[in-house]
Amino acid sequence: MKYFVAIVGVGVVVAIAIFASQGATYDWRLPSTYPEPQVPAHNPMSDTKVELGRWLFYDTRLSGNNTMSCATCHIQALAFTDGKNRSVGSTGTVHPRNSMSLVNTAYASRLTWANPSLDRLEDQALTPLLGDNPVEMGMGGHEAEIAALLASDEKYRRLAEASFPSDENPNSVLNVVRSIAAFVRSIVSFDSPYDRYLAGDFTALSPAAERGLELFFSEELECFHCHGGFNFTDSSTHANSTVDQVGFHNTGLYNLNASGAYPEDNTGLFDMTGQVRDMGRFKAPSLRNISLTAPYMHDGSIATLDAVIDHYARGGRLIADGSNAGDGRLSPFKSEFVDGFDLSKSERADLIEFLASLTDNSVLTNERWTDPFER
Amino acid sequence: MKLAKRPASYLLLVTILVACAACSAKSVPVHIEFSASWAGQPVQCDDTPLALTDLRFYVSEVLVIDSSGAEHPVSLTPDERWQQQNIALIDLENGAGACSNGTSDMNSAIRGTVTTSDFAGIRFTIGVPFEMNHANPLLAQPPLDDAAMHWHWRSGYKFLRAGISSPNDSFWIHLGSTGCEGTIQNITGCSSPNRVTIELSDFSADGGRVALDLAELSRGIDLQDGTGSDCSSSPAESECAAPFERLGLTIDGVTNLQPQKVFQVQR
Repeated sequence: MKYFVAIVGVGVVVAIAIFASQGATYDWRLPSTYPEPQVPAHNPMSDTKVELGRWLFYDTRLSGNNTMSCATCHIQALAFTDGKNRSVGSTGTVHPRNSMSLVNTAYASRLTWANPSLDRLEDQALTPLLGDNPVEMGMGGHEAEIAALLASDEKYRRLAEASFPSDENPNSVLNVVRSIAAFVRSIVSFDSPYDRYLAGDFTALSPAAERGLELFFSEELECFHCHGGFNFTDSSTHANSTVDQVGFHNTGLYNLNASGAYPEDNTGLFDMTGQVRDMGRFKAPSLRNISLTAPYMHDGSIATLDAVIDHYARGGRLIADGSNAGDGRLSPFKSEFVDGFDLSKSERADLIEFLASLTDNSVLTNERWTDPFER
Repeated sequence: MKLAKRPASYLLLVTILVACAACSAKSVPVHIEFSASWAGQPVQCDDTPLALTDLRFYVSEVLVIDSSGAEHPVSLTPDERWQQQNIALIDLENGAGACSNGTSDMNSAIRGTVTTSDFAGIRFTIGVPFEMNHANPLLAQPPLDDAAMHWHWRSGYKFLRAGISSPNDSFWIHLGSTGCEGTIQNITGCSSPNRVTIELSDFSADGGRVALDLAELSRGIDLQDGTGSDCSSSPAESECAAPFERLGLTIDGVTNLQPQKVFQVQR
């Protein structure tokens, strides 16, 4: 009996390996009206690889002091954000930025808040894993341990061999980041009430949410210029797109010394390019599941959606005193779309109800993305 | 055996052999030792009150300059850890004391050969050549496989990481290219390359000693006011202005306008 199980087990692994080598067969489980994401040629999707990536995503052994995993800052119940203003690394260092949702990052043309070069999840994974300024997971200098983790764990070894069948030695840092990238790429979501409404179920949105939709897509509010398209961000791409669509915007959150400056640890695109015109420019995040991902903005400096609407209605934020004092409305670098608007109390409630209709509750519990260690 | 079908290849091979026999006859060893100093005195990770916190850097494009001013490229001797032919990693921290985020491995010298024995000076670059700088670090050969030296979110290497601490304050710098255009692994250029060319005269390359002086690198930065200073090579950071100037870099990182003060020949 034991032998039979072993033989069947080997057969399954071989079958999985063959399946995995034919990456094109991966099922994204998408509604037919949405395109598939782009996938790098060197890292085709497979269910096995996604499964390996899932274990690694939740594995605290991928932090220098075994205290945190990717999931520490990307919690499924919060649409893979962490609820903090700014995330905290494994050694207690506070990150300058707010944790971004991982839902539909497969469709992001650029990753993180303000990096014009970063377009692949495989490359992105290296920063939280290995970076030392700030320390996030703190594995810099421990690369050998990352590869050893794959080799030492029986389950990981089996999944890695099946996920990377043509690799002589699949136990590498490269394959760890490829697997985690495949897992994150698999987190796609198009089953919000708004999606069902678009698909023809006109009961999916309440009348208030319908009114909010009208406001959202109005020229008066201008929301959709930056938060447009199927993923509610202008930095979106997919397998069939032919343009490299990327947008970074200054929304007038800060205006230090009336010079347009942002706090020095968070200058956005300017930090990357050194061009003054890029001061305070950040990527417009997707608004999918936005009701669940407070606090808001790149630095978590706005606590509620209501206060976010205050900021945009005013056409920039006024900070009356303190080291960040300044009137963002007057910033010389502010986007032309952040012009301010008037909204009645009921219109504001409608807009917030529409934003709530972008929540796909299935994302929060889908077992393909839950913590496998807790099963 | 394919050569047998191509007599011309024999001729080419013989020519190369003759040429190399001639050059190897004049091949002279080069050994350049680097050290960390503070105002001319050695400084280490467990010193007090000032301690080294980090000092690692890439040295590439090493040349010997002879007394006529002619340049002779130094061919570095490849090894498994610290050197490829055109680039070396110098690591002057030992992972102890204030360098606890570092590594115990150290490498203080570059080793190679050059085809002149007339040593008047040397020139080298602190940095990783462009074409190597933006390749996938997970596929790189030593010494470019060191994750601590890679700057993933800036999509290139840290050419230099250096730091010093006092009992209540610290300063560190990570030098690397910024303002890079294109996407990672398809970078087309960087507006601030931040590669530093160092030229030192009056130098005997067979036993040369070069000190990197952290007092010069951090000159103008208050190491007593308790505020902590750091520079990540962004023009946004006011704390980059002083160390960039001491390295001879303009803040845009394009040109070496001023003479650098940080690297000094030791006697």
